[in-house]
Amino acid sequence: MEQDIDFEEILTGYRSDPYSYVDVHSIHTGRIRFKVRENDAVEGVSGQWHHVPGTLLYILERERNAKSVHSSTNGIVSSVRTDLEGHFVEAGEKIMVIRHPLKKREIIDSILRKVLFQFKAPERAKYFFSMELQARIEKYGQRGVSIRPGDEILTMSLMKRDIPVYYAGEPGIIHSVYFQPGVTAELNEPLIGICAEEKLPYIQKIITRVKAEWE
Amino acid sequence: MGITLTPALVRQLIDDEERGLRQRQCSPGAVDEIFRFGAVAGAVIERFDRLDRGMAHARQLINDCEEGGRSFASGTVILAGELTSGQGRFQRYWHAPMGGVWMTVAFANTLLPESTRLYPLAAGLACCEAVRHYGVDARIKWVNDIHVQGRKIAGILTETVFGPRHGEEYVLVGIGINANNHRFPPELAESAVSLCTLLGREVEIELLAARLLAKLAWSIGSLHYEERERLAADDGSGAGHDSLLVRQWQALSDTVGRRVLFGYDVQKNPQYEAQVTGITPDGGLLLRHLADNASGVEYSGEILYLD
Repeated sequence: MEQDIDFEEILTGYRSDPYSYVDVHSIHTGRIRFKVRENDAVEGVSGQWHHVPGTLLYILERERNAKSVHSSTNGIVSSVRTDLEGHFVEAGEKIMVIRHPLKKREIIDSILRKVLFQFKAPERAKYFFSMELQARIEKYGQRGVSIRPGDEILTMSLMKRDIPVYYAGEPGIIHSVYFQPGVTAELNEPLIGICAEEKLPYIQKIITRVKAEWE
Repeated sequence: MGITLTPALVRQLIDDEERGLRQRQCSPGAVDEIFRFGAVAGAVIERFDRLDRGMAHARQLINDCEEGGRSFASGTVILAGELTSGQGRFQRYWHAPMGGVWMTVAFANTLLPESTRLYPLAAGLACCEAVRHYGVDARIKWVNDIHVQGRKIAGILTETVFGPRHGEEYVLVGIGINANNHRFPPELAESAVSLCTLLGREVEIELLAARLLAKLAWSIGSLHYEERERLAADDGSGAGHDSLLVRQWQALSDTVGRRVLFGYDVQKNPQYEAQVTGITPDGGLLLRHLADNASGVEYSGEILYLD
C-alpha cells in the first residue's frame, strides 16, 4: 500500500495550500437567493449537540416552500455563482465553494481517509454500535476488534425505529470512529474507517510523521 | 366466550366503522385504494396465551419461513395474552400481564425510505385512534407514545429486520395497550393507566385488537397511497408535500408548543431542554433550544414533557 501513495507529494501539497475546498451544491431544484458573497467568512455547525446551524448560505424556494441552507463548515466563501441569483437551479448544481483552513487533526484525518476504507451513513440518522460489537469493543478495545462483510455493526435509529446496519467493505479492524452516539450523522458522512490488520503499522507511521512534520 | 380476533372481524370493522369515517377526510375512491393498500394488516393472525416476546417470535417466524423456502405473509399478527419478558426500547421492562393488548405486526417493507421513516408515526396514529374510539382523550407524544393526561396507556416499538436468506426487509411493529390490566408495579403506578380504569368497565380485548388493526390498515395504507401519489405528481423528492398522515398525526398530538427534555435515551441520558415549535412534513421534531435559542430538527430520540 505504501507504494500506492506518494506521501511526500501529499504533505507538500498540504504545506503549500493548507485548505480544503468545500463544494456547495443545491439540495434540490428551486429558485435560489444567495445570503453570502465572495470573501464572506462563514461558520459551521456548533453547539454541544451540533444543534446550532452554521451561517445561512442560501434560500431555495420550490412550490412556495422556502428552505434555508446553512454552512456545514467554517471558512471563507471563495466563489459564488451570482449569475444564478433569483433563477431556477437544478438539484445538485455546484453553486459556491468555501475555503476551509485545515487543522493538523483534519490533515491527519484527510490523509487517513485516503488509506482507510470508509463505511458511510446510509441515511441522515443517529448511529450506535450494535450491542454485540459494543461488547467486543469494551472487552478488546476498538483496534482489537475485526469486522467482515455481512457483520451487523451498527444500529441506525430513525424516528424511534431501530434498523440493523450490516458491514459491506474490506475486512479489517476498526481504526477510526467518526460518529458520536446521540449526534445526528448526515447522509454519506463517514461513520467508521477500517483497515486491514497488517496495514496498521503503516497507518501509525503516517500519523507520527504528520504530527512531527506539521507544526 | 368473548369476541375472537379474526381477519374477517377486521374487514367487518373496516366496512362498518372505518369507511364512513374516512370518507369525511378523503374521496370514496381514495378511501377504497388506501384500504386496499392496507388490507394486509391482520390478514394472518397467530394467537398465543403466553409468549416471552412478540418481536422475538415474529423474527423466528420470518426466519423459519425464509429458511423453509416459503414466503412470509406480510401483515402477519402475533397476539399474546401475556408477555413474560416484554421489552420496550433500550431493553426497558414492559409490563404485559393478562388483560392487555400485546400485539406484533410484521410487514414486508416495499416502501421507499422517505415513506418507511413514517411507519412509527402511522403506528402511533392508529393506536391513538383505537383508544380514542372508546371516548378517552388519548394524545400522541412524539414519536408514538400514547398517553392520557400524562399517563401512558400504550407504547410502540418499531424495528427493521432483514430475512436471513434473501435479505428481504421487514418492519416489525410491536404495540402494547393497557386495556383491562389495571394493576401496575409500584414504579409504574403513577405514570401508567389502563382503559378499564378510565372507563370504569372492562373492554372486549380482541375487539379492541381488531379495531387497532382496522386503524392500522388505514394508516399503513395511507403511506403506500401517498407514496404512489407523490411519485406520480412530481420527481418524487416530496418537497413541499403535505402528508395526510402527518396532518392526522398532528391533530391528535399534544407535543407542539410543549417545553421538553430531549435525549436519545432521555431517561438515562437527558441532553437538553427545548420548546417544540412544530413538526416537519417528514415527521421531524422542530425544537428551539432553551439554553441558546438555536433551532433544529431531531429525527431520532425521545422527549419528556416538562410542562
